[in-house]
Amino acid sequence: MSNKGKTALKVALLGMDERTYKTLAQYLLGPCKNAAITVSDDNDAEVNIIDADLPRSRVLLEKLLHEKSARPLIVLSLKPMGNGSFLFVQKPIQTDAMLAVLAQAREHIQNADKDDNQTVLVASLTEVDQNADASGKVESDAKPSVPAPLKRHTADLNERNKTSKHRAAMHMDEKGFTALMGGMKSVDIGDSRQVKDARYNPRDYFQGYLQSAFKVSRARAQVLQLNSGWKPVLIFPHSNEVWLDADDRQLRAFASIIINKNDNQKMSLTEIKSKPLDGEALDKFQTMDALLWKLACWTSKGRYPEPFDIERPFYLKHWPNFTRLLVTPHALRIAALLIEKPRTATNIARTLHIKPEYVFVFISAAAALGLLGQAARNADIEVAPQALKPDKKQGLLRRIINKLRLN
Amino acid sequence: MSQYKIIFTGPVGAGKTTAIHTISDSAPIKTDAAASDMTKTRKSATTVAMDYGVMNLTDGEKLHLYGTPGQERFDFMWDILTSGGIGLILLLDNTRADPFLDMKFFLDAFADFIAETHVAIGVTQMDVSNRPMIGDYQQRLKELGINPPVFAVDARVKNDVSLLIQALLYSLDPGLEA
Repeated sequence: MSNKGKTALKVALLGMDERTYKTLAQYLLGPCKNAAITVSDDNDAEVNIIDADLPRSRVLLEKLLHEKSARPLIVLSLKPMGNGSFLFVQKPIQTDAMLAVLAQAREHIQNADKDDNQTVLVASLTEVDQNADASGKVESDAKPSVPAPLKRHTADLNERNKTSKHRAAMHMDEKGFTALMGGMKSVDIGDSRQVKDARYNPRDYFQGYLQSAFKVSRARAQVLQLNSGWKPVLIFPHSNEVWLDADDRQLRAFASIIINKNDNQKMSLTEIKSKPLDGEALDKFQTMDALLWKLACWTSKGRYPEPFDIERPFYLKHWPNFTRLLVTPHALRIAALLIEKPRTATNIARTLHIKPEYVFVFISAAAALGLLGQAARNADIEVAPQALKPDKKQGLLRRIINKLRLN
Repeated sequence: MSQYKIIFTGPVGAGKTTAIHTISDSAPIKTDAAASDMTKTRKSATTVAMDYGVMNLTDGEKLHLYGTPGQERFDFMWDILTSGGIGLILLLDNTRADPFLDMKFFLDAFADFIAETHVAIGVTQMDVSNRPMIGDYQQRLKELGINPPVFAVDARVKNDVSLLIQALLYSLDPGLEA
C-alpha cells in the first residue's frame, strides 16, 4: 500500500525552548512531508522527541529512560549516542535519517499494538475454553458444533430489538438544523473577538454531568444511574449503551438549561446491581456516543466548548460513526478536511465557505466523544491554511452528492 | 461519454448486492446462483459474476455501481472491475468469524486501487452481533496506517449506504459542495 492516506505520527517535542520547538515542528511538516505532527498534550502523543544537547533535557532524558515507557523515544544530539533503548538522530539532522527513525517508531508502535491484541485474543480463547465443556475437558482439535457466527447470534438475540440503537442517523441541512436549534447566534468570522466569545462551558450544562458520569462508569466498569432531577440515565459501559426514556425534543430542551449550583445538588450517580429493565424497554437503548454527540450539538448551539483554544489547529483522531449519529450541516466535509491535516476552526470555515457556527457544533460533538485533539500552537507555521486542491472529477462528484442528498 | 463507477466489495454475505439494490435507480442486474460450496452455510444464493446498478445523474450522466463477487476464486475479475473506478466501498459482515482478517484481505487485494482513489468501510450485521465495535475496526486500521471512514451500515437502509458513499466522495475532495 502506498503512503497516501497514512496518518501522521503524533509527536511530543520535549524539553525544548520555543525557537527549537517551532523549528522542529516546521521541519516535520515541511521537509519531512507531514510524516509527523506535534501535539501539545503529551498524552495524545505516540512518540517522544527530545533534544539531548539542551541543558534542561538531560534530566528529562534520564527520567524518560528510567520510566521505560512503551512509547518510542527519539533522541537528537550532536554527539553519537545510543544504548538500544531509544532511536537516535545525529545533528545536523538529515531528512532521510529523521524519516527512517520515524518509520522505525511507527513499526514499533504497530508491533506493540499487535502484542496487545494477541493478549486480548488469549484472554478470549481462555474464556471460550472455560465455557466449552463443563467437565473441564477441552479437545484442541474438536470443531465447535455450531459455526462461530451462529453462536454470537444466539448471544445477541436482544440486540435486534434495540431498534433506536441501530436506527439510521438524522441528516440535517442548514435550514432544518437552525430551526431545531431555535436560532443560533451568528458569528462574524472576521471578528476575532466575536469568535473568541462564542464559547461555552459544558460543565454548566447537563452535557458536562453526562460526560463525567460516562467517565466514572467506564473507569469503574460499573453500571451506573445518573440522577439529575430530570429523567434517569442508565449507563452500561461494557456494551457502550445508555438507557433513557426521553425523546429528542425533551433532550433538546433540557440540554440548553444552565444548571446552577442549587440544581447541581440534585445530580448523583448510583450503582445498579439488580437487572433494571424488561424486554419492553429495549427501544430506549442507544449508544453512549449517539446520546453524547447529540447532547453536545444541542448544548453547543453554534458555540465551541471550553477549554479549547479556538486559534489553535484541531485534528480528528478518526471519522465519527456518522450513520448512527446526528449529522449536522457540513459535518462530513469538516471530518474529511480534519482527517487530512490539522486546521483551525476559522480556516475550516473559510476553506469550506461555511458559517463558523457549523464548525463549532462539530467541534463540540467530536470533542465530547474524545475524537478531537489540538495540535501545538503552530498556526504561525502554516500547518493549516493551504487551499484545497479540487479533485479532477469535482463536477461529477458534486452531481453524485446532490443526487445522494436528494434521496 | 465517460464511464464512472463505484466498486462495492467485501466477503460473501456482507450486503454488497443489497447495498447496490438500495441505492440504484433501476432494478439492479444480479448474477446470483444457488450456493453449492461452503458459501451455502451463510446464504442460499451468492453472486457468481458481479452485481450492477446505476444512479442517474443530471445531464443524463450515469454512475455505475459494481459489486464484486465475494468468493475469492473470482478475484481475477477485480482488476478489470476497478479500472477507471472513482473509489471503493468495502462492506464487512460483523458476524463473520474474523472480520478483521476479511478487512485486511480486501484492503490488501485492492491496495493499488485504494492508493489511487479512496476507500470507505461499512460494517453490516451490527444489529445481530455488536462486537467487534466500530472503534475496534478503527484500531486495526490504525495499525495498517490508514484512517478511512468506518460506519455501521444496514445495507437495506438508503441513508446508511448514501452516507457511506458521501464520506467516500468527501474523502476524495472535502471541498465538494452539495
